[in-house]
Formats: sequence, C-alpha cells, structure tokens
Amino acid sequence: MYAIETNSLTKKYGEKTVVNKVNLKVKKGSIFGFLGKNGAGKSTLINMLTGLAIPSSGSFKLNLKDTESKRKVQTKVGVMPDYSSFYDDLSALEHLKYFSKILGLKMKKEEFIKLLQKVGLENDTNLKVKKFSFGMKKKLGIAQTLLNNPDIIFLDEPTSGVDANSVLTIHSLIKDISGDGTTVFLTSHNLDEVEKLCDEISIMDKGIIKLQGSIESLKKEFQKNLIVTVKHGPIPSQHKEQLKHKLDSIASNVEWGEENVRLVVSEEKKIPSMNRLFTGLDIDVYRIQVYEPSLEEIFLNTGKEEAVPLHSQDAV
Amino acid sequence: MFAICFREFKSLFKSIRSLIIIGVILGVTLGAAKLVSSFQSQLQEFGLGDSAYATGLLILILIASPLFVSTLTHSTINEEVKSRTIRFIATKTSRENIVFGKFLGNLFFWIVCLFIALLLITPFSKAFHVSELMEGIVFVSYFVGLSLLLSTLIPKPGVTGFLGMAIAVIVPIVGLWSIASENIFLKIYSYITPYYFFSHDNDFYIYIVLIYPIIFLAISLITIRKRDL
Repeated sequence: MYAIETNSLTKKYGEKTVVNKVNLKVKKGSIFGFLGKNGAGKSTLINMLTGLAIPSSGSFKLNLKDTESKRKVQTKVGVMPDYSSFYDDLSALEHLKYFSKILGLKMKKEEFIKLLQKVGLENDTNLKVKKFSFGMKKKLGIAQTLLNNPDIIFLDEPTSGVDANSVLTIHSLIKDISGDGTTVFLTSHNLDEVEKLCDEISIMDKGIIKLQGSIESLKKEFQKNLIVTVKHGPIPSQHKEQLKHKLDSIASNVEWGEENVRLVVSEEKKIPSMNRLFTGLDIDVYRIQVYEPSLEEIFLNTGKEEAVPLHSQDAV
Repeated sequence: MFAICFREFKSLFKSIRSLIIIGVILGVTLGAAKLVSSFQSQLQEFGLGDSAYATGLLILILIASPLFVSTLTHSTINEEVKSRTIRFIATKTSRENIVFGKFLGNLFFWIVCLFIALLLITPFSKAFHVSELMEGIVFVSYFVGLSLLLSTLIPKPGVTGFLGMAIAVIVPIVGLWSIASENIFLKIYSYITPYYFFSHDNDFYIYIVLIYPIIFLAISLITIRKRDL
C-alpha cells in the first residue's frame, strides 16, 4: 500500500517545465528521501503534494486513513515547507497553539510542551520566534508538523543550515516519527542524511526523476561498475600505446595521470586481468584501489548525460 | 477560520497604526460630541436632536474610514505571502478559510471600534445608535472587502499600500461628486461606490452595499485558489 502516489504530475511556469510528468509511489510507513540539486524541482513537487502549488497537469493521491474531504487530508498531513517563516511576534508555544486552533484541535498546554520537548525546545517555549536561531526555527517547524499526529509528514530540507547537534536531534526525531508508522517524505541535499535515514530514495534532475529505489538496490546497480585507481611505476614508451589500447578494451572512462590511472570496470573479475596487463609489460604496480560508488557518486552522476537511469519512472 | 480571524483581530489591536487610528476615531468622536452638545438647542431646532452625535461619527466614517481601512488592511494577504508565513497556515486549512478569516478579523476590528465610539457618545446622546452602527459596519465592510481584494490580487504590499491610499482618497471624492453629477460616466461610477446608496433617502439602499464585499470576497477566493503560495 502506498501513502503517496503521483500520476504524471507536472508543473510549468510559463514555458519552463519545473516538474515533468513525475510518477512516484511512496510506501506507507517508510522514510522516503527526495534528492536533487538546487533547482531540480524538489520543492515544487513537495509544494504540489502539500497544496501550496497548483499542478499544471497530472494528479496525485495521498492515501490516508480517512480522506473523505480536503479538510480531512490537511488534518492528517504534517508539512514543514522550505523557505517559510514564522510570526516574529509569537513564541514557540503560541505558534503551536495558533496552528492547533487552525487545525481544529483541542490541545492542552502540557501537550504543546511535550511536543517542544521532543524537538529540544523545552527551554524556549515562551521565547519570541524573532529571537530564534535558524536551527531552532527548523525544530519548531518539525514540532508543528506533529501537532495533528499525521499519517504523512513532508519535510522540505529539514536540516539545511542547522548545526551538527541539532542535525542529530532532528535525525533521531525523524526515526521516532517513522517508528510510529508515519510516512516521512523528506527532501535533502545531504546525501549522508538520506543514506542514514531513508528506506527509499528518488533522485530528481531538471524536473525528471532519474532514479528511484531502495538505497541498497541503487548501490547494487551502480556497484556493478567499480572505480579502480592503479598507482604504477614508469611506463616504457614503447609499451604506452599498447597498454592504452588494451586497457580501453577491458575498462571504460580511462583517465591517465602521471603515476596513476583511473578507470571503471564493469565487474570485479576484470581487475586481475587488468593487473596482468601491467605486469605483463614489466610495469610495476604499487597499489590498486577499488571504490564502490557512494550515494554521492550516484547523485552526482544523475545529472550527467552518460548516467543511465537504474529505475526509470516507468519501472516504479 | 476563526483562529485566523481571531489572530487578525488581535494583531490589529496590537499595531501602532491601528492604535493611532483608534485614537483618532475616539478623539474625533468625543470632540465632535462635545462640540455638538454645546449647540444642542440649535440642532434640535433643525430636527437633528440626539442623533447629531452619531451622525458626526458616521460622517467621519464616510470620509476617513476608506483611508483608515486601507492603511490597516491593504497587506493582510500579500504580506503573509511575501513573508511566507502563509505556507504554514495554507497547509493546515483551506484557502477559503484564510480569506474569510482575514476578512472577518478585519471587519470585527472595525465593528468593535465603531461600537466603542458609539458607546463613548452615549453620555451625550443618552442613547445607543444601533442603526448608525449597522450603517457604519456596512460602509466599512465595503472597504475591508476592497482592501482584501487588492491584497490578494497584488503580490507586493508596497504597491497595495500606495494603491489603497490612492483609492481611499479618490473613491470618497469622486463618489460624493458622482451623486450630484449628471455626467453619465460619473452616474455609472456612483453605483459602484457606497456613497450613492448612502445618499438615498430609503435606508434599505444602504444594505445593498453589502453585495460589494461579497463580490470582492468571491474574486479574492477565485484568485487565491489559483495561486501558488
């Protein structure tokens, strides 16, 4: 069962297509990471899903426990939009009170304090938000998403610009929220964060979803390709062309340095053959380093022309 | 909706601009009442009697309230859009509730101001003028609706501030002028300002003005529904 389903969701601003026919399916109760560079269309997509932006075409469905009306959808979804601000004249506690009233909730003061405790703002309940640091505002942003005990939470860049300690608090909070069965949909630039927190990710570039799947499956796909760096001794000039030619036949993306060569092999068993190529030509091999592509490399490759989508949108 | 309405209402009482406006209304009302009381016998000869106190207030409302309302309400929506505070509330309630809440919050502020002003003149007039209160509310609702519409249509608070003030000066002048004018264009114009309806002998006409805030609200709703926040 999916918590979020989109069907060719598209957003255009004039001639520019910011989100292009996105088909997404987010499993209920999962932490879904939505990655993309600045301007990739992440926030626009989240804005459409949360009702802040009107889709140009396509549709989406939020599968909640009880979704008879739009009003009910809003009361079962928590949203922390990016680039949003609080009311300077209100304190953290007053914000939660105000938002709870808008949601039509009847909550006691202790419940608000408990929420603020959860995000680590228990000592700043009555402090006006204008005196809050950026990190404190982010924490309050998360606290207000929890007011209605939602089925789905949308967090747009929850840790961007936040200090390391606050990041840890927010991470453990997100895990707690997900542990309660809530679906968490978060956008981030932070690959480490996504790798730590998310069950599944989707990578967006120029409004198109390039990759989607579990982190493990994405890594597995990409790990078929291994990045190998060979530190070698001097290459006799008569063997240079021969070595280049032979390496090109077993590897790709060969980049020559002064004392090393970086290349990509499609499978592990090609590494010994590559080693034999060097030794067979009496070239010393000092070190062979094999890298598995990190999430960052997957992410960085997504926008490049040569990157091949692992799980295209159709495969979702 | 009521949470938004209540916050709007409360924050209006907190702002310095509104406190100045309240001070002006109450000051002018009291001053006028004292002035009227010193000419009481002459006024009674003209048949104005006790209602002269409330009439003074109503004249102040007819002339100055467009400016007062525009000053306080011109940025009620676009300021929240600009500062992006609206993103928190728009994800918690419908856009209709935001618009209605803002409208009612502003209107209630004026209802309370008018009520207090009329209450202040009761020691002089020895009566509470309910009909004048209702007329004042109807008149103010026109400009609250208009300011809200501008605030929804125009994204920049600076522009609505300027435009609101321009309208607040032009509408009363041209509105009052159009009542007496035979010019066809001014005649048509008079029907879209509240002054024509307020100048009519039949009090029923005054309540026709209520159609306008409803129209302004409807356009605001249609506009905000289509807008990305």
